[in-house]
Amino acid sequence: MADTHMDTVERLAGGSYPFVAGWRKVMMWWFIVTDGLLFAGFLAAYGYARLLAFHWPAQSDVFSLKYIAAMTFVLITSSATMASAVQEAKDGKPRGALKFVVLTAVGGLVFLGMQAYEWTHLIAEGASLTNNPWGDASFGSYFFLVTGFHGTHVLTGVIILLTTAARLAKGVTKAEGVEMAGLYWHFVDLVWVFIFTLFYLV
Amino acid sequence: MRTYWITWSVLLAFTVVMLWADAASLPRTAFVVFMVAAMLTKASIIGANFMHLKAERVPLITTVVVGLLVTGAILYVLIAPDAVRIHEMVSRYGPR
Repeated sequence: MADTHMDTVERLAGGSYPFVAGWRKVMMWWFIVTDGLLFAGFLAAYGYARLLAFHWPAQSDVFSLKYIAAMTFVLITSSATMASAVQEAKDGKPRGALKFVVLTAVGGLVFLGMQAYEWTHLIAEGASLTNNPWGDASFGSYFFLVTGFHGTHVLTGVIILLTTAARLAKGVTKAEGVEMAGLYWHFVDLVWVFIFTLFYLV
Repeated sequence: MRTYWITWSVLLAFTVVMLWADAASLPRTAFVVFMVAAMLTKASIIGANFMHLKAERVPLITTVVVGLLVTGAILYVLIAPDAVRIHEMVSRYGPR
């Protein structure tokens, strides 16, 4: 019993290596936490503005939920292929990892294409950063700000994935490099879970 | 790798149920509570399984989760009462 307690204490204390993870992984997690807080700030501001607004538009008037569900499907699937890529890389199968990384990048590009189409459609109907034909003007501001910021992250993720794929093909990137790209990509998927729920559903 | 595709199917199932809840005419409060619970569950599944957080050491998990939750609580729980008060004022006195 005493040993178990000491084991727990040792595990929590961590000694010289509290996280037992390489500096790349720890720094990536730090980045994810801080970037997550940035999105949390945006979404909190959005919630605040929504309560403040007198005529917030009904989502069903603005969005096609089937289309947004398809975008969500693409992003979740790309997360699964990315996790598979990380596993292949850890198993010492760079060709398998390369295949899944490329599939993930394709998923990211499809998502970006769908988002571009959604934006084009909304802009054609009169939505902009300062205007919204369905109600409160701040809807347009927050919609383009939040989805645009997320889209920028997706674009960055695709660039990281394509770079990782090229380096995998050359045999430069090791399993840890694929894992870091994976962490970033899953974070992008994770943020979309919040945007999908808070912007499109609630 | 099988775990990842099971996770994928669970996430998809959650998404379908959320869309169903959106189509069903649930009472507003129940709807919001359900959606937020489903959202947090999906986020936890992604963090634990796809990002392998469940396989990390306790200090890293604690740092990430507490860091996000505490700041999230400050943003949402502490600011929310002000937002609700403003909402009530808007409802009472009209728009800006």
